[in-house]
Amino acid sequence: MKSLEADVVVIGGGSTGVGVVRDAAMRGYRAVLLERADLGQGTTARFHGLLHSGGRYVVSDPQSATECAEENAILKRIQADAVEDTGGFFVVTPGDDPGFADKFLAGAAATGVPAREIAVAEALRREPLLNPGILRAIEVEDGSVDGWQLVWGAARSAQAYGATVLTYHKVVGIERERDRVSAVLARDVKGGEDVRINCGFVLNCAGPWAGQVAALAGLHDVNVVAGRGIMVAMNHRLVNTVINRCVYPTDGDILVPVHTVSIIGTTDVKEDDPDVLAIPRVEVQEMLDAGEKLIPSFRDARALHAWSGARPLIKDDRVAATDTRHMSRGMAVLDHAARDGLNGMLTIGGGKLTTYRLMAEHIVDAMCEQMGDTERKCRTADEPVPGSENRKLYQVTHRLEEAEEDRFTDPIICECELLRRSVLVKAMKEQPDATLDDIRRQTRLGMGPCQGGFCSTRAAGIAVAEKVVDAERATGLLRLFLKNRWIGLWPILAGDQVRQTALDHWIIQGTYDVEHLPQPEKEVVL
Amino acid sequence: MSDVVVIGLGPAGLSAALKLVESGRSVLLAAKGEGGFQLSQGTVDVLGYSPGRVANPLAAIGELPAGHPYASIGAEKVRDAVAWLRDTLGEELLVGDPAQNYVLPTAVGAMRPTALAQPSMVAAHQAASYAVVGVRQLKDFPAELLAGNLGCRAAWIDLPARREVDSSGHMFARAIEDPAYAKRFAAAVAAAAPDGAVLLLPAILGVKPGTWRRVADQVGRPIAEVPMQPPSVPGIRLHDALLAKFKAAGGRVIIGSRVVGCKTNGGRVASVTLAVAGGTRDLRATDFVFAPGGFASGAITVDSRGKISEPLFGLPLTQTDANTLIGPDYWAPHPLFEVGVETDAAGRAKYENLYLAGDIIAGAERWREKSGEGIAVATAVRAAESIMGGRA
Repeated sequence: MKSLEADVVVIGGGSTGVGVVRDAAMRGYRAVLLERADLGQGTTARFHGLLHSGGRYVVSDPQSATECAEENAILKRIQADAVEDTGGFFVVTPGDDPGFADKFLAGAAATGVPAREIAVAEALRREPLLNPGILRAIEVEDGSVDGWQLVWGAARSAQAYGATVLTYHKVVGIERERDRVSAVLARDVKGGEDVRINCGFVLNCAGPWAGQVAALAGLHDVNVVAGRGIMVAMNHRLVNTVINRCVYPTDGDILVPVHTVSIIGTTDVKEDDPDVLAIPRVEVQEMLDAGEKLIPSFRDARALHAWSGARPLIKDDRVAATDTRHMSRGMAVLDHAARDGLNGMLTIGGGKLTTYRLMAEHIVDAMCEQMGDTERKCRTADEPVPGSENRKLYQVTHRLEEAEEDRFTDPIICECELLRRSVLVKAMKEQPDATLDDIRRQTRLGMGPCQGGFCSTRAAGIAVAEKVVDAERATGLLRLFLKNRWIGLWPILAGDQVRQTALDHWIIQGTYDVEHLPQPEKEVVL
Repeated sequence: MSDVVVIGLGPAGLSAALKLVESGRSVLLAAKGEGGFQLSQGTVDVLGYSPGRVANPLAAIGELPAGHPYASIGAEKVRDAVAWLRDTLGEELLVGDPAQNYVLPTAVGAMRPTALAQPSMVAAHQAASYAVVGVRQLKDFPAELLAGNLGCRAAWIDLPARREVDSSGHMFARAIEDPAYAKRFAAAVAAAAPDGAVLLLPAILGVKPGTWRRVADQVGRPIAEVPMQPPSVPGIRLHDALLAKFKAAGGRVIIGSRVVGCKTNGGRVASVTLAVAGGTRDLRATDFVFAPGGFASGAITVDSRGKISEPLFGLPLTQTDANTLIGPDYWAPHPLFEVGVETDAAGRAKYENLYLAGDIIAGAERWREKSGEGIAVATAVRAAESIMGGRA
């Protein structure tokens, strides 16, 4: 077992965890992040891709609205490569209360969320597929954000400040010396060396798994409720502007253009086990119905893929004993010193992606305060993360531009996402023990209409050709990739995606006979 | 007015159309696209797995359940149909025995059974050892993955088919039709090739049937073409040959127009309606062969609520609710893709002069059992013979 020394160990590689580790590292702490899988895999990127303007909360949660508006502007500065400035509309659809729009405008003015009502005709001119029956439209500064790009950007910034980021490291023990946390033990689930990190502070940012992590420190009554929501990605950008229904927050009230697709979400159903998140076909139907309200004939558009994510909501009977002074609503921090008599550990739940940086600032402030270290100030809002130094916002056309330049030297491996070979190979070489899904999260391999039908065998072949893996592992990775793509495919199979799936089956099973490739002794799962 | 209108340009439509035109019928073939051959591996599968690997497809046909498309046809007629296709295309394009599967490597290195194959492929059957040569500019042939799964060595050659690096196998196949390019290609392959009894090359050795022999002679070693994902060069060869024979025998073809409706008269189809520039055109015939493909071509549809239908003729399907037929296990059978139309013993459904062939017929997940072309050809020949017999 290898041994590391750190001031703080952050558990969980979602937006909260990476935000915290970046903030701590920038304040000069020796910080280690432990994530049991890939960054953003658990919860963060299982969302609809919305960068909130704050509009969603101007009536229901004014403080969140203000925070979203401020953080929206900050993220466009510091993580420009993850953010597309799409703009957004709040639209009153037929049957919705038109009076809500007045409350909305008043709320926006009160909370500092930029918003202005525009003529319905203007909204329809800019988004021709929008329901022509809409009654009112309000323009806001919504954007879309790539969750993986966001967390990797923050993680790389943290690394630049000396932090250690260990993905595929599952925490298996939290040691304490009397009333203090003293070390965290983690298992390298990919089979490498286990690690022991001696530390003075532990920040439990494990989201839906925070209760399980707390239990490792002997704290058995941290209850996290997983609120599951599904999202459905539709082929193409049905809209280029985020479309919100101008109603009190409800299911299926938002359509977000992200990269080459548009995503509708979401539902909210309590789940007992965050490791088993269903994508019920009945909820897919609800999303399609909700889409019809925004875009008539939404059902005739092609659904590509669906996924499920869990909002982590901490339920704590002793919440009165926790310190939430600095915290925004929607976020809960359990101070285990006050609550359980264990010094050096905080558990964080709730929160939202748009305000992840602010949340991290609050958490690290709280840690500094406990450590008596209040001189170290947060600097995360000031400095762009690696890759965003030029402060150039993401544009959906950027890959087309690059592919045009490289067309004599660099083949397109995934045509749907215009992923060039050089980009794929770079990602593979940076993470030689990655799965094709890990690579997908950073490169969008296999995320377009064909869902891997044409590119998955190419990618497996390139991994061998570039000597990243051997043929046996590549075969295992290919099988795992196909299996994982299917999780989000079968619940939405309809229309042209049935055709595509049949063609993919003709290729993968028909021509390649992948199901009869040499079977490894143990199926590759990581 | 034709004797027969055939809808569909895949293995089923082309086989039925050719069989009918060769019997003297006037045949009009209408298709919206280029058909299924270019999406296939370019061999003729009869039955590869059931569910274990099948050595003799004809023997295994007897064991299939009653709902399988082969069950009502029987092994002998399947043999006759497949042998007819082989003999019609000739040994420059198809060799083999429907009673004996070849086992040939796929581009990722699985050993795949198939009944008839192209002569450019069959050296790979039961070879003592292999070597692989890929082309750097061809992204669809993962040479090391293939070699690794076969336990042999791989090498690369550098030979672009055109200036832009992104080139399909079909572009290479066209380039190889140029003797100068073919010579450079063969020389590079010969120089790079590792040791091995049979040299596996991507299936790009010419769009014409005999071109591969020229390359093989110049390489000077036994070679075998390995099929890749679409566009399938070997598939295009079969397609082109069948279409050329059909035209040469007097068949007429309309490609690129979609059949959008039909007119019926009692229990008979009177005409089908073709969408053409500026309007529609009715194609009238005595008999109709419907070989439009299945789910992949969009001939069988699933709407957003999961309702399965055949939109053109409204043919009855074996199942109509997709929601219960598809599940979370990628590797398990997906009964959805066995859904199709049941026919009578003559191959008809719903109308007395509407004969079905190919993927539209229910009862098999063809990519899983490796039976696509066999079912297509056997049902196409059945349709053609029913029509010929009925009017004899």
